[in-house]
Amino acid sequence: MDSQVDTDRDAVVTSERLRAGAREWLARHSYSVRICHWINVIAGGYLVVSGIHIFLDFPELYWGHTGYQGYPALFKLSDWGISWDEAGAMGNRMWGRNYHFTFAWVLLINGLVYVVWNIKTGHFRDRMLPRRDELTPTHLGADLRNQLRWFSPTRVSATNYGTLQKVSYLLLIFFFMPLMLLTGLAQSPGFTAAWPWLLDLFGGRQSARTLHSIGTVVFVLFVLVHVLEVLRAGALNRVRAMITGRFQLPREET
Amino acid sequence: MSKPVSSQKEQQGAYPSRISRRRLLSSVSALGGLLVTGGCSDAFMPPTLRGGLIGVADVLTMSTNRWLLADQPLAREYQPSDITIDFPQWHGPPRSEEYQQLVSGQFSDWRLGVTGLVKQPLSLSLQDLKRLPARTQITSHVCEQGWSAIGQWTGTPLLRVIEAAGGVTSSARYVVIDTFDGWYEGYDMFEVVHPQTILAYGLNGEDLPIGNGAPVRLRVERQCGYKSLKWLKSIQVVDSMVGFGKGTGGINSDWGFHWYGGV
Repeated sequence: MDSQVDTDRDAVVTSERLRAGAREWLARHSYSVRICHWINVIAGGYLVVSGIHIFLDFPELYWGHTGYQGYPALFKLSDWGISWDEAGAMGNRMWGRNYHFTFAWVLLINGLVYVVWNIKTGHFRDRMLPRRDELTPTHLGADLRNQLRWFSPTRVSATNYGTLQKVSYLLLIFFFMPLMLLTGLAQSPGFTAAWPWLLDLFGGRQSARTLHSIGTVVFVLFVLVHVLEVLRAGALNRVRAMITGRFQLPREET
Repeated sequence: MSKPVSSQKEQQGAYPSRISRRRLLSSVSALGGLLVTGGCSDAFMPPTLRGGLIGVADVLTMSTNRWLLADQPLAREYQPSDITIDFPQWHGPPRSEEYQQLVSGQFSDWRLGVTGLVKQPLSLSLQDLKRLPARTQITSHVCEQGWSAIGQWTGTPLLRVIEAAGGVTSSARYVVIDTFDGWYEGYDMFEVVHPQTILAYGLNGEDLPIGNGAPVRLRVERQCGYKSLKWLKSIQVVDSMVGFGKGTGGINSDWGFHWYGGV
C-alpha cells in the first residue's frame, strides 16, 4: 500500500535527518496540555501509591453491598502469598487516605481545567477527535500493526496523534476517569447518603471498591504502555516537547 | 431488652424519610439559636484546619458533602434480608476495670452523663434511654479500612437526648462523646440533629453485643465507622474542642486521620 511505503520511508528519512543533526522546530504541545499533563503525572502517581496503601490495609475484594474479613471474597492477597499482617505492615492507610483524597481533588480540578480549556482552544475537535477516514478497519489495522512493531517504528508523526492514541486518550479522559471518580465516591458514606444511586449504579459499595481496584491496574498498564510508546518514539524529543512545547522536526525532504 | 420499632412506622411518624428544611430549622432553633452562633460555618469546616494541600482538600471534601446533604437526607436504609448475620466486632471490648464491673452488673449501674452547655444536665440509665423515643434503621457500616456490613440498629436519636436535657445554650458548637476504651470524638450540630444519628442499644433485634459496643454505641451513618463510637461513657456539649486531646476534634484526627469522616 502506498501509505505503508510512505511511512516506512518517512521513518528511515527521519532517523537519517536526526543523525545528521537537522534542526527544525515545531510547536507541538500547548501550554494547557503541558501544564495539565505534569500535574496529572504528580496527582496520578500519588493516587496510585496512596490507593495501594489504602488497599494493603484491607487486602481483599468483594462484590455487592457487604464485605468483611471472613465473608466470601472475590480476591484475597493472602492467596498470593502475602498474609494479612504482612500486607498491613506494608501499607499505611492514614497516609494513604490523606493523600488519596487530596490528590483526587487535584486530579479532578486539573481535569476539569484541562477539558474546559481544550474545548475552548479547539484542541479536542482539531487534534483529538479521530477523523472519519481514520476509523475505517483498514486504517485502524495499519495503525495497530505500526503500534506492535517495536523495533521498526513507522509514522512517528510529529504533528498528529495516531488514531489509536486519540481513541485511548479520549476513552481515558471521558470514560475511565469519570468511572474512577464515581467508583471512588460510591465507597464514601457521605456521598452515597447524598447520591444513593451511586450504590445502585455499581451494585453496592464493595462492587465499587472492586471496580476501583481493577481500574487502578488498568491505569497502571495505561501508564506503562504510554511510557513505552514515548521511549520508542524518542524519549528525549518527546519529553522535551511535553516540557518546552517544542518538538524537533527533521528538515523538509527535497 | 431492646424494643425494636419498625423503621417504616418511624418514617411515617416522627421521622420523615427526608427531613424538610423547615423541620431542620425548627430542630436547630430548639437547640437554642444555633444558626446565629456560627452553626452554619461549622458545617463546612473541621474544628481545626490542617496545613497545606491536605487542609485545603479537607475543607473541599467536607463543604461539598455538607452542601449536597443540606436537606439532611437519610443514608440508604436496607431490607431485613440484607442484614449481615455475624456483624464484625473487630476490636475487643474495653479492658478497664470500670467497664468490666459494668459488664458483671449487666450494665444496671451504667449512667450516661449529659453535661456541658445543656440547660438541664442529665444522668441517664439504660432504662431511661430506652424510654425516650426510639428509631430503628437498617444501615451499612462503612469502615474506612474498606469493609462494610449491614446491621439493624435500634436506639435513641442523639437529638432526643439533647432535647431531654433541655436543649443547648447559645454558645454550644460540638457534642463530645467519651467511651470506655479511651476514645473520644466531637460532632458538629449538623450531624447531631440528623435523625439517623442515634445512641444504639439494639442490634438486629437483640441487646447490643459487648463486641459491638454494649451497652450503647453511637451510629453516625453518613460518616466512616470510626465516627460511630462504641462503649459510650458520657456526652458533653461544648463550645470548642480545645482541651480535648490535641484539640483537633477527636482521637482519630489527633492521630492524623480526617476529622470529617464522610469519605
